[in-house]
Amino acid sequence: MSDKRPGEREPLFHLSRRHAIPWWQAWGIRVLAIFLGMLVCGVVAFLLIEKLQQRPERIGDFYYAFIKGAFGTQRKFWKFLKNIAILLCIALALTPAFRMHFWNTGGEGQTLVGVLACIAVDFYLGGTIPEPLLLVLMLAASLLAGALWGLLPAICRAQWGTNETLFTLMMNYVATYLVAFFLEVWVKSGSGVLPQMKTGKLPTLGSNSYLLIILIVLALTVCLYIYLNYTKHGYEISVVGESVKTARYVGMNDKKVIIRTMLLSGALCGLAGYLIGAGLDLSVSTQSVGGQGFTAIMVSWLANFNPLMMILTSGLIQLLNQGAAQISQDFDVSGALPNVIVGIILFFIIGSEFFVNYRIQFIRKEKEAVK
Amino acid sequence: MLPVNKKDGSGLQKAFIHKEMMGDNNMKKIVALVMVLVLCLMAAAVMADGIAKEDIKLGVILLHDENSTYDLNFMNGAREAAAAMGLEEDQLQFYRNQPESSACAETALDAVDEGCNIIFFDSYGHQFYTDDVVAENPGVQFVHATGDLAHLKEYPNLANAFATIYEGRYLAGVAAGLKLNELKEAGKLKGDVPLMGYVGAYTYAEVVSGYTSFYLGAKSVCPDVQMKVQFTGSWYDEKEEKAAAEALIALGCDLISQHADSMGAPTACENAGVPNVCYNISTKEACPNTYLVYSRINWKPYFEYLIGQVIAGEPVDKDWVGNMANEAVMVADLNDAVAAKGTQEVLDQVKAELEAGTRHVFDTATEGFITVAGAPVAEDWAPTDDAYNPEKDKVVYDGYFHESEFRSAPYFSLEIDGIERLNTKF
Amino acid sequence: MGDGKLEKQLAMQMRGITKRFGPILANDHVDLDVYRGEILAVLGENGCGKTTLMNMIAGIYFPDEGHILIDGKEVVIRSPKDAFEHKIGMIHQHFKLVDLFTAAENIVLGIEEKGEYNLKKVNARVAEISQKYGFHLDPTKKIYDMSVSEKQTVEILKVLYRGADILILDEPTAVLTPQEITRLFSVLRRMRDDGKSILIITHKLNEVLEVSDRVAILRKGEHVATVNTAETSEAELTELMVGKKIDLNISRSDPVNPQPRLIVRDLNLVSPEGLQVLRDISFTANGGEILGIAGIAGSGQRELLDTIAGLQKPASGEIVFHNPKKDKPVTFFHKSLKRVRELGKAHAFHDRKGNEVSFEGMKRRQIRKWVESGDVLFKEDEVMDLRNKNPLEIRQLGIHLSFVPEDRLGMGLVASMNITDNMMLRSYRKGSAGMLNRKHPREQAEEIVRDLEISTPSLTTPVRKLSGGNVQKVLVGREIAFTPKVLMAAYPVRGLDINSSYAIYNLLNHQKEQGVAVIFVGEDLDVLLALCDRILVMNGGKVTGIVDARMATKEEIGLLMTKSERREERAANE
Repeated sequence: MSDKRPGEREPLFHLSRRHAIPWWQAWGIRVLAIFLGMLVCGVVAFLLIEKLQQRPERIGDFYYAFIKGAFGTQRKFWKFLKNIAILLCIALALTPAFRMHFWNTGGEGQTLVGVLACIAVDFYLGGTIPEPLLLVLMLAASLLAGALWGLLPAICRAQWGTNETLFTLMMNYVATYLVAFFLEVWVKSGSGVLPQMKTGKLPTLGSNSYLLIILIVLALTVCLYIYLNYTKHGYEISVVGESVKTARYVGMNDKKVIIRTMLLSGALCGLAGYLIGAGLDLSVSTQSVGGQGFTAIMVSWLANFNPLMMILTSGLIQLLNQGAAQISQDFDVSGALPNVIVGIILFFIIGSEFFVNYRIQFIRKEKEAVK
Repeated sequence: MLPVNKKDGSGLQKAFIHKEMMGDNNMKKIVALVMVLVLCLMAAAVMADGIAKEDIKLGVILLHDENSTYDLNFMNGAREAAAAMGLEEDQLQFYRNQPESSACAETALDAVDEGCNIIFFDSYGHQFYTDDVVAENPGVQFVHATGDLAHLKEYPNLANAFATIYEGRYLAGVAAGLKLNELKEAGKLKGDVPLMGYVGAYTYAEVVSGYTSFYLGAKSVCPDVQMKVQFTGSWYDEKEEKAAAEALIALGCDLISQHADSMGAPTACENAGVPNVCYNISTKEACPNTYLVYSRINWKPYFEYLIGQVIAGEPVDKDWVGNMANEAVMVADLNDAVAAKGTQEVLDQVKAELEAGTRHVFDTATEGFITVAGAPVAEDWAPTDDAYNPEKDKVVYDGYFHESEFRSAPYFSLEIDGIERLNTKF
Repeated sequence: MGDGKLEKQLAMQMRGITKRFGPILANDHVDLDVYRGEILAVLGENGCGKTTLMNMIAGIYFPDEGHILIDGKEVVIRSPKDAFEHKIGMIHQHFKLVDLFTAAENIVLGIEEKGEYNLKKVNARVAEISQKYGFHLDPTKKIYDMSVSEKQTVEILKVLYRGADILILDEPTAVLTPQEITRLFSVLRRMRDDGKSILIITHKLNEVLEVSDRVAILRKGEHVATVNTAETSEAELTELMVGKKIDLNISRSDPVNPQPRLIVRDLNLVSPEGLQVLRDISFTANGGEILGIAGIAGSGQRELLDTIAGLQKPASGEIVFHNPKKDKPVTFFHKSLKRVRELGKAHAFHDRKGNEVSFEGMKRRQIRKWVESGDVLFKEDEVMDLRNKNPLEIRQLGIHLSFVPEDRLGMGLVASMNITDNMMLRSYRKGSAGMLNRKHPREQAEEIVRDLEISTPSLTTPVRKLSGGNVQKVLVGREIAFTPKVLMAAYPVRGLDINSSYAIYNLLNHQKEQGVAVIFVGEDLDVLLALCDRILVMNGGKVTGIVDARMATKEEIGLLMTKSERREERAANE
């Protein structure tokens, strides 16, 4: 090797794509990533949380907060399940569009207009018609409003090839300001806060008021799984998503598929809005969806657009969220810090997919081993 | 896993209360009333015993976290009160980032589970979601700061709290008026008459009451003052608030004040060299050349009162109103470099008069002081919002408008002469 | 390698070069010597690792193991820039040129030279190099004005300008006409005589024999042999490449009773950009015959097939599907019950006695029974205009028009789906309910995997994970399973190994014998001449000639491929 000119150095390692990886190895990498993420979180927490510096022995409490936040009490556990259900519902709604490679970033707005529509029906008709009829009308309004919000970008994309990501994103703002407008009209005092409706509440099933919501979303998960994998519509969505050229080649009407799928996606967001409006808040504000429309994008991606896997990913995200809130409370730190911690863990989880797909080979070592 | 309903029968009572409100059946109504009475007695019984100081646990449910000056003000108040009363660290719990939705009620229930016996909400909108929680937990004292519904509801364990911040703003207005007089004498006014600018958030009573009292304070020492108000539609939007202040300065305002939480307006004033009256925070260090004075609500006295009442087993005032006497309203940090000479002396005197009741902010007796479209305020004027009960509560009598008396939250929402709203979209 | 070559000077040596992609061993301890002043052909089937090997010399990949020695000294080549420093240059299959720049500008692009940038000097030097090796190139011509052959010349000049002594050409003849190939080879010989080392990657045996001095053969990543070209034969090379003896003859049967099946008249197509891509195309494809389409890439072949398949709307012209059905029974093989009923209403049928059949007032079951008895006959031949019909409408007419597009994974198949789901592309609409029926497609998938010997880990493997040949078998298999009347195939053997290519030729031949009208767009003129019955030659969106494949020569077709209007006019004027 003495012939080499100075500066001629071999690369230290190179990356190669894995062809196949046994499932246990893939999950091993993921679990390891979470473990490492947790470890880094511990270090970060120790550096930034004053109360932890004062009493380092509370590091156990720090990790326990993630369990405590979701499973600490029965109430928290139910809340955990309900939070999963709502987030999952929005993620499910986005998934048909994502499978079609239609990047619907408007879940927030589509859900929000769903909340707005059902509360509007409740506001104007509540008390004047029988409760069951009211609930049905509210549902219809939510589905229609969500579908409309999904339809507009779909038509523009199908007809004129507009960028759906920007369009759906902008529709979020329209939805927010529409809510602000109606709050001005409805709330005479000008406070911008609409008191809870006395009518139009989803009935309580069994002993917990969240049970119905959870069951609805569970049923939806199964239905959507079947729809996407075992129906002609689902098949068309996959083909159009993979290649519009292929779709046209076999005579599929790709525009029709885009519009139909976005109607569904929007309507399901509307359903999520209905669950929030009629099932939980009985009111609407610009923060009714609270950013879950964006978190849902991550839920869907992390699950590789598989509805059943989304139960896991939405569970993971809500576990982290509730854990973060618990940390904020237990250690008396601002809401920003726990979010940093959630971010670190998600970074490790998403990053682990790289190592599931690629392998790092260290060249020097190998070469020396050969010699 | 099935949920355990910890308080048997409370669900039933809740159902009755709801029915009662809908008023669909007389028999049920009576039953409900009886139940409510029983509930009240039970609650009273629990309360009457009082709670040992070491068993007190205060949960503060915050809209945002310490990054918002609004929430930080509450946090500081609670911390100072807890320290002053000798509570342990874990006797005060903060629940941050709780939106004005059913989520805040869930968090309140978690707080109950964790042993909180006083739960304090810091944002106006929280009050619309907590009826069930309040009804189901009679042994816990709930407080909605700035809320306006407690006096309408039958829950003995629910209270509202606010402060006569309008008095603070009035005082700040006096300081502003004196400054305008000084400018006038020096011939430094931009226009013919002294003109103030005001950056507000929304068009509702809390803001209207605030800027009107500020204006009246100035008018009490500078009778020909005029004011323009620009709304931003947000409690915290630095860019918008700065732009609004700049617009007002461009319109010829000689002095600016604001009812919004960011540094937007003070920065604009410092850049333009226009005096500024602040709210919630003093900007004396950041804006040494223009900062005049600031007013704020100090929540420490209330937290001390609240905790004290619960320990003693005494009922908490449904509509507690802090004032200058109990130091809940503060006007402080006067900047001598900017203020007119002798301002502090005038402020001390006016403050004494307000405390003594010889001076009132919304003075309807003095002719021409407050006029609406040229006419004096009618004796039967009443707020229009839902929380007001016109049969029970009169607001204009004895020669002044009684702000924050029938309830703690402000309700003065008249558009008086001398103040021009530049926009009303919010 | 002992004989007579020893006096030649070694330019480059590869020792134990190994490269893995995941579990795939692309190159397995390859040793290869390259001498000064020789043309070395690197021969091997697609996927044998020859391009990977060359990419490692050119600095695109870095070897996992092994060394490269230039002039006896070990070097490390981490990037194309390193390669240039060692006077190695590669001309890739896909050109990397800036369209808006002139030839000279492209040539100097990226060279960090001291001193001022003087285009005149560059032009002079380019002209000098061109002169030396016999290129014909105007250095001031813009790339977008150039033919494929000219662009390739620019790429070669680019490498020479940088002073390369070792030139690697990746499949340089794939895009050229026979005449251009001859010209390229003469240039390569001149460079060799000038002492340069030329490595040429190819899988075309005749070219190897024509131009090279030695042949290095790679098989499954291994370097199996290097032979002197003068001492070898096509058969020997094939055997080395494939690993077994192979019959290189395509059996071509004479068409039996060819009948017009697809008639195209005066077809014109304008692209969305407003360019006329097809001009007055007219031809007839007969059943029981393979019609070849030859032409330089981009002469309108793809657009022609797309238009027939209903993927593009022609500006004018006719596409007529002709079905010789007069007095033959209608079946449900190509027609749905609904369609049969419609045709009955349109007075298309009569029974064996000559009475009209209209199915009026009959139930579905009765119609089905009657048709299945074979007593419902067509009155006339079926003639259907396919113009302005999309693929679905064509299908609904009962016309089985199969199409193997050029872009297999981007158009013909869905790359991420498995074989079964890809089989469904044509048939998923069957059945009235909204649910998919995967039973029949799965059976079909099993069938083609068995019949076409597709090697796949399982039916659930995404097709993108299959090798090129297997992907193509899935696509052709599906289109054939669809029992076509017309089968169009665009470059169906591109990128396939010899065995797979012959398997495809046999499938096409088999379809022809079944009476299918086969349209075959190809690039290898030897194959076109050996496989087809007639060859239609296209140039610039026009048909420049239709020749009998049994009589025509490569040169004749090559001339038609480059025939331009201007030249025609000139000829006419003279």
